[in-house]
Amino acid sequence: MDGNDVIGNDGLSTVGRSAPASVIRDAAGVDAAFTAMMTEICSPDSVITDPQELRTYECDGLTAHRSTPGLVVLPQTAEQVAAIVRACAARRIPFVARGSGTGLSGGALPRTDGVLIVMSKMRSIIAIDPASRRAIVEPGVTNLSVSKAAEQHGLFYAPDPSSQVVCSVGGNVAENSGGAHCLKHGFTVHHVTGLQVVTPDGELTWLGDGTGAAPGYDLVGAFTGSEGTLGIVTKIIVKLTPIPEAVTTLLAAFTTMGAGGAAVSAIIGSGILPGAIEMMDALAIEAAEAAVNCRYPEGAGAVLIVELDGPTGDVEAQTAAVREICTAEGAYEIRAAQDAAERAAIWTGRKSAFAAVGRISPAYIVQDGVVPRTALESVLDRISALSAETGIRVANVFHAGDGNLHPLVLFDDRRPGEQERAEQLSGTILDLCIEHGGSITGEHGVGVDKSRYMPKMFSAADLDTMQLLRCAFDPHGICNPGKVFPTPRLCGEVPGVRRAPHPLVASGLIDQF
Amino acid sequence: MASESLLDPDGRLRDLAGDCVHCGFCLPACPTYQLWGEEMDSPRGRIHLITQILDGGHGSEAAAEHFDRCLGCMACMTACPSGVQYGQLIEAARSWSERADTATGPPMPLPPRTLRDRAIRAAIFATFPYPARLRAAIGPLRAAQRTGLDQWAARSPLVRRLAPAAAAALSVAPRLARTRPRPTLRRDGAAIISRPGGAIAPTAALYGRGSHADAPSGHRLPARIPAQGSRRAVVGMLTGCVQQVFFPGVNGATARVLAAEGCDVIVPPRQGCCGALSVHGGRRDEAAGFARRTIETFERAGVDAVIVNAAGCGSAMKEYEQLLGEDPGWASRAAAFSAGVRDFSEFLAELGPVAPRAELPLTIAYHDACHLAHAQRITAQPRSLLRGIPGVSVTEIPDAGTCCGSAGIYNLVQPDAAAELGTRKAASVAATGADLVVSANPGCILQLTQALAAAGRPMPVRHVAEVIDAAIMGRPRAALLGG
Amino acid sequence: MGTGTPGATPSGTVPAELAAACADVRAAGHADQIAGVPARYVAAPGSTDEASALLRAAAGLGLTLVPRGSGRRQHWGNPPTSCDLIVDTGRLDKVVEHAAGDLIVTAQAGVPLPDLSQVLAAARQHLAIGPRTMVEGGTVGGLVATNAADSWRYRYGAPRDLLIGITVVRADGVIARSGGKVVKNVAGYDLGKLFAGSYGTLGLITEATFRLHPLPGAALGLGVQQKDAESAAAMVQTIQYSPVAPSSIDLRWPSPAAPIWLLVGLEGDRESVLTRAARLRALVGPALLPGAQPDGANVHEPESAAPAHRTEDQLRADLQSRALDEGTLVRVAFWVGRLAQVLTAIQGAAATNGIDVAIEGSAGAGVLEARAPASSAPMAVAAFVTDLRAALSGLGAGSVVPGVASAVVVYAPDEVRNVTDMWGPVPSRDLMRAVKDQFDPEHRMAPGRFAGGI
Repeated sequence: MDGNDVIGNDGLSTVGRSAPASVIRDAAGVDAAFTAMMTEICSPDSVITDPQELRTYECDGLTAHRSTPGLVVLPQTAEQVAAIVRACAARRIPFVARGSGTGLSGGALPRTDGVLIVMSKMRSIIAIDPASRRAIVEPGVTNLSVSKAAEQHGLFYAPDPSSQVVCSVGGNVAENSGGAHCLKHGFTVHHVTGLQVVTPDGELTWLGDGTGAAPGYDLVGAFTGSEGTLGIVTKIIVKLTPIPEAVTTLLAAFTTMGAGGAAVSAIIGSGILPGAIEMMDALAIEAAEAAVNCRYPEGAGAVLIVELDGPTGDVEAQTAAVREICTAEGAYEIRAAQDAAERAAIWTGRKSAFAAVGRISPAYIVQDGVVPRTALESVLDRISALSAETGIRVANVFHAGDGNLHPLVLFDDRRPGEQERAEQLSGTILDLCIEHGGSITGEHGVGVDKSRYMPKMFSAADLDTMQLLRCAFDPHGICNPGKVFPTPRLCGEVPGVRRAPHPLVASGLIDQF
Repeated sequence: MASESLLDPDGRLRDLAGDCVHCGFCLPACPTYQLWGEEMDSPRGRIHLITQILDGGHGSEAAAEHFDRCLGCMACMTACPSGVQYGQLIEAARSWSERADTATGPPMPLPPRTLRDRAIRAAIFATFPYPARLRAAIGPLRAAQRTGLDQWAARSPLVRRLAPAAAAALSVAPRLARTRPRPTLRRDGAAIISRPGGAIAPTAALYGRGSHADAPSGHRLPARIPAQGSRRAVVGMLTGCVQQVFFPGVNGATARVLAAEGCDVIVPPRQGCCGALSVHGGRRDEAAGFARRTIETFERAGVDAVIVNAAGCGSAMKEYEQLLGEDPGWASRAAAFSAGVRDFSEFLAELGPVAPRAELPLTIAYHDACHLAHAQRITAQPRSLLRGIPGVSVTEIPDAGTCCGSAGIYNLVQPDAAAELGTRKAASVAATGADLVVSANPGCILQLTQALAAAGRPMPVRHVAEVIDAAIMGRPRAALLGG
Repeated sequence: MGTGTPGATPSGTVPAELAAACADVRAAGHADQIAGVPARYVAAPGSTDEASALLRAAAGLGLTLVPRGSGRRQHWGNPPTSCDLIVDTGRLDKVVEHAAGDLIVTAQAGVPLPDLSQVLAAARQHLAIGPRTMVEGGTVGGLVATNAADSWRYRYGAPRDLLIGITVVRADGVIARSGGKVVKNVAGYDLGKLFAGSYGTLGLITEATFRLHPLPGAALGLGVQQKDAESAAAMVQTIQYSPVAPSSIDLRWPSPAAPIWLLVGLEGDRESVLTRAARLRALVGPALLPGAQPDGANVHEPESAAPAHRTEDQLRADLQSRALDEGTLVRVAFWVGRLAQVLTAIQGAAATNGIDVAIEGSAGAGVLEARAPASSAPMAVAAFVTDLRAALSGLGAGSVVPGVASAVVVYAPDEVRNVTDMWGPVPSRDLMRAVKDQFDPEHRMAPGRFAGGI
């Protein structure tokens, strides 16, 4: 471990960390014997111990939180993952799973006293079953490559986060990722029908069976979005969607955000459910222009990207309706993509917005709040007022259709006090979201970044009840500990009670629990 | 430990590295991440290692290895939404390795390479930038090819273990033409040197009596090839090192096409190396020396533009301003020079092709050289020039943006990785079912030829200039597909 | 804690603790039984807080409990091994909030589904479950607890896919919420997914929030007759890949001798529906018999402004003509590509055991229901289920996934139930038991009702 890390007693570096302590009882630590065991399970190539190499894994897409892992392993099979976890469980060594390391809530932030299990070598698309509209993929497969592989069958994988070129399906399962097209097509939990997982005690087991209607509790649904705290996914059965016959992508430019928002309300209110409906404000447009030269209409206070998909006749009718609505709400320019290349060009601006903001500001914080769509206008007004008050610029990019905001709070970390003011503004924005009955995170997850806001959104009883699930999977608290919940629950012993047996149990036909 | 201030005195590298927001969009574009799936062999990871070294003053052997494994293909720069100047960062990191290898004086931030690695690199850099030496080194190669010994050596497990670089070199080396250049041509060549004005006869030799695309030009071009028809430009031409030795026919074709399109082509006889391999390998001082000489040579020639038919060279020459920026005597000369550098297809597209092309019914799979597509952002021009030939259809190669594995000297110093990338590229190319693969870089042509042959899917591989030349000269498609 | 603590009040008298916690508690009457298991008490809390107090009191007394909505589906699953207290959600009957502009609704667990539909239809919206499920009775709580779905499963999924927030009361009386009022929400674990389809074994659902969809202006169903399982499967493939975006692809096979019908549902605005219907007709060509009506199906041509209601009226009429939930219903879930083999397996197992099954359900979504008449011999039905499960488990051979099809007995007459394993094997049974142990350590919530012996 190099001396730059200040290690807290919870195994997480205190550099930029906000989550409180989570100490593992009876932890044995990552020592030479453990490392040797890992080398035997995987191979020498797949175990990383060099301190500088370890540090390259210190954070995911959220660079404000960094922590050097005690060890990094890169398994290639589900059996290897299970063996690694079994070894960790025996020694109470905490472990964190990582896909492509692009998450925005620090979900893959490693433990200095633990193992980082990197899934990027497990990246095969195992099978595609077009007749059933299913694919079985390994967790390291990138989101976009699923759609690419499915394309020849006339299918695509619907959840499409902006980072889809690199983010992994395993990571998508952990965060229940959404993306621009989730308004109409749903998010990851609607498109995952089976998971092979390694439980925190090292068992390899299937949740669900790919039908989406397997008997028993919906553990697939509960696991999706659990941010890597209930186990490690080793195979995913995804649902594939037939590629719509027609797609129209419109780019509409408005002089103000208000006008753009009104157009969104009018479109949704008219009964149209677009495939996607995204909005960017002037500052976000400026960044995107600088990055990818998307050539959005000049002088736009807001641009709306509306995508309509479905049968040709429907799309034509909806496109005409959307054009009319946008014009009525004051759009001064409306462009329609004429071909796949133009469609891609329109989306490139939107999808690179986060990273592009780096060009117009030395540093920034990405937020992920959600408000009811009807509250969008007033919340955006309030954000802009706050921005003016604090002198901190905020670029807005968001999924207008479902009220999921991504305020990009821009600041210069070299100017004293600016980072603190930016963080405060971010927090105030989240408070606003909660006030309006929304959520602190629409798709990026809680991770370490937002765990301190959980008590603002949920009561202690709510959080305690959620953690019952965690106790069922991970009673010893070694699976990605310190994430999501600000205060871990002590799982303790669970009394079991027996009653008079059911006739079938008595006859030996079934057993009862 | 090397002090940070020595590594990055003006904070420039730190600024460049700070542009990275850790978004990861570069990972899927990076060939080594595609191969191994490890953060340290991704651009994002390498930038992180560079930052660690800037912070702490030293890098481990592992870190050095990851820098060496970088292809320098710049696919990450095309993918990066934040505009990180990764090219400059990796060259700085490579320069740390180079200085470590030759270290005298203050300790360097990276450990030196192994003795064998250093020896291989020394041999490469002592030969490749000097066409005469390279040509001499080929003598034994030609003999080996005639006896079939080359194939044995390339495939022999013993040779591959003991001298992987040599085995790799043998396997990519093209079948060299058996005929020596005709004496008359050589006499003409000598005449040109003594008569700088140039003569019609040598140029006629350029247009050749034979029909074989490779033979007529020999290995020396006339110093001046006049424009055909009305003159639209006066251009200089870089003959390159690998290009002129392995593919003199490409240079001939380049000159002919430029002349046919109305350019006076000036080919300074003692050009020297442009320094691309050196600058991409982090050998800045060596590269700067080559750069200065190249600039001087073409300044003397007094041309409107300098045309380059090797993507790696063109890319390096466009960046002379960065290479010589710190030298007050040269900064503005370098800037002016770089502003006039054009890739062959870039220039022709700008000029607007006028020479009539005969029909060439061919499907062509166009392979983007990394230093053309990623470093110079030139992708449309070669395609449109090829499509401008009647009968030609151009198909896209799947995963077009991924490097073939040539990457300068990479296939000599990282033969295993290069071979794996070559295999993948060969599969993608073969999948197109095209008649012909066309590229704009000699290294790629060598790598593709070898990879396709090794995959059992041999396909002819030609330079863009050769195809256009064949169309203008009215040569049959067999001339391009044979050989 | 057993079914009665020492010193418990004699049956017929409500324990003081319960009466103190809940305003509406009484001794159970003759009709108060769950799947034939008589209860001792019935309580109807009027709010989440009251339910919390009630369950806390019940916990103190060690009582087993089973939630009950309208009782519409109380015979689904196994009978509980014990049922001291029925928690009736009848007084939890308010639509708490219908934010039409945001397309969400929050309703208490006891709201009857037809009533909810009416409230939503007033704003030209609907909860995209059904059409049958929303019409034939049941409550919001029951809908979530059974995760019941039918035809529109193909396009919209099941209740768990539309559920965005939930309020539950744990067996120990603690109130917990997860999710919220917005569709995009990944804060915390999604308890809604866990509770959906849990048959009341994890806690009492008191409130649920759903995302809504605009009510389609028109609806049209097309029937396509098929001669056998293979051609039906091929037609399903054609339709699912057709560009007409159907809401449902259902299959109806009333008996082995009868023809197989595929019913395709199209929804949207009137012009769109008519255009797509025409395209679909052109696509399926000669397979479509004009004017032919499968037994009990409805083929509507959109006429009025709100034909959706007309569909419901007709459905209600249709349903009244046959008794609900008769006989044995086996739900088969499978990978859609295996449709032909699944149909063959069902008919084969039925024939082997001399049973005449009617098959119906969402062929496009991979969920079919096979119904054996009430008159079937119980042992024959039990053997049918066993044989069917064996055949289905063979379908997964060679796949990475251990099984690609499952069969669950949703309900059955008592004589059948007593000799049949209703739920069959479940993947990850031990994990499910661990979850149950955490939420209901004393196993008092609907004991024995569920899969995995839970």
